Amino acid sequence: MQFEKQVEINAPREKVWNFIWDVDRFIACVPGCKEAKTIEEGKRYSAIMVEKVGPFKVEFPTTIEVLEREELSRIKAQASGADNKIGSRMKLDLEVKLREEDNKTVLQFVAGVDILGKLAALGHGIIKRKADQVLDEFAQAVKKRLEGDL
Amino acid sequence: MLRRFRLEEPRSIAEVSELLGRFGDSAKVYAGGTELLLAMKEGFVQFERLVNVKGVTGLNEVKQNNGEVHIGALSTHRELENSPILKEKVPALAKLEKNVANVRVRQVGTLGGNLCFAEPHADPGTLLIALEARLVAEKGDRKREIAAESFFVDAYETALEPDEVLTQIIVPVPAQPSGICYMKFGYLERPSVGLAVAVKLNTAKTEIDDIRIAVGCAGPAPKRVAEAEALLKGKSLDEATRNIPQAGETSGRASQAISDLHGAQDYKEHIVQVLLKRSFQSALSQCT
Repeated sequence: MQFEKQVEINAPREKVWNFIWDVDRFIACVPGCKEAKTIEEGKRYSAIMVEKVGPFKVEFPTTIEVLEREELSRIKAQASGADNKIGSRMKLDLEVKLREEDNKTVLQFVAGVDILGKLAALGHGIIKRKADQVLDEFAQAVKKRLEGDL
Repeated sequence: MLRRFRLEEPRSIAEVSELLGRFGDSAKVYAGGTELLLAMKEGFVQFERLVNVKGVTGLNEVKQNNGEVHIGALSTHRELENSPILKEKVPALAKLEKNVANVRVRQVGTLGGNLCFAEPHADPGTLLIALEARLVAEKGDRKREIAAESFFVDAYETALEPDEVLTQIIVPVPAQPSGICYMKFGYLERPSVGLAVAVKLNTAKTEIDDIRIAVGCAGPAPKRVAEAEALLKGKSLDEATRNIPQAGETSGRASQAISDLHGAQDYKEHIVQVLLKRSFQSALSQCT
């Protein structure tokens, strides 16, 4: 499943960039994400992703690895996790791009999400819709947090 | 494999509500169990407690009351398919119930359970929206009615509060001259598109006095399509028939169809258009 989101933030690029690396504040914007930890500064992180669709609840202990980093403009990361109770795995390839436009910062996410195992039987459409909602909420939370700080 | 769970056996709605409130997310109402137990066996969901509501008496009756049919939420699909009151007063609903899944599911699956589980590929919600049904939710000594069109929030999510219990479905008996039709399209037992039309003509039978259109199964939850109704309501039969293709397109978009193994989004939208045309014609033919 491929997703692309873009959000315009009324803040300088440097501030947005620094926010992304402030793990605690950044993770607080990811719906259902908790217990974020830094394993290796700037390279490896861990967190628990909890998502719910009606009575269906998944909990993925997730490791996040930063693969590429271009100062102030681009981050490429990969995350993966498994919910052993339900017997499902999740893999996320994420590219975050920043660019300046009219004194604003445009933050763009390109995400590839793969769900494997039993959870996939819930239906591709339902999972895609949920993932889309999570990314939307995340983009809006980042915007709100950064603009609220101005 | 089904994991161990505790079975609670309350005897009243108040007890059911109290148990749900006390145990929160770790408890779930168990009615027919046709969807819940399957999901538990597959390991999708786990609950420490199931609250068996089948011990609560009086929740599977179908009664007539002031121009309405009151359906107990624990009525099985089979009971409704064979209900003399439903067959006489709202035959479209009895017919729908006769075509839910298969006879094994209909024998134990309940209408209330079907609505509360809110599985997107379910039939009854769509027709109940078109019929202007109201769903009665109870909690302790509090009772409220939820319009069917507001009941379904999203896939597997309803407007019920965590400790509320669905006890009754109230369906107004359609005023004459009127016609109601529910049609579905799908593979084997699983509908991929469902569409309901309830039409009422003026006494001279020349104009659409009122119309309700609902679409389900294609998207995450059944929904009413007021924009499509507006294209047909108050129109002469000829004009309404001319507007059907446009109403079909509007309904297709409103269905929020999701691409999946049962078909692409545009394919399902097209099926919505076809079903609207056929259902409208069928509903009109019942008005004579």
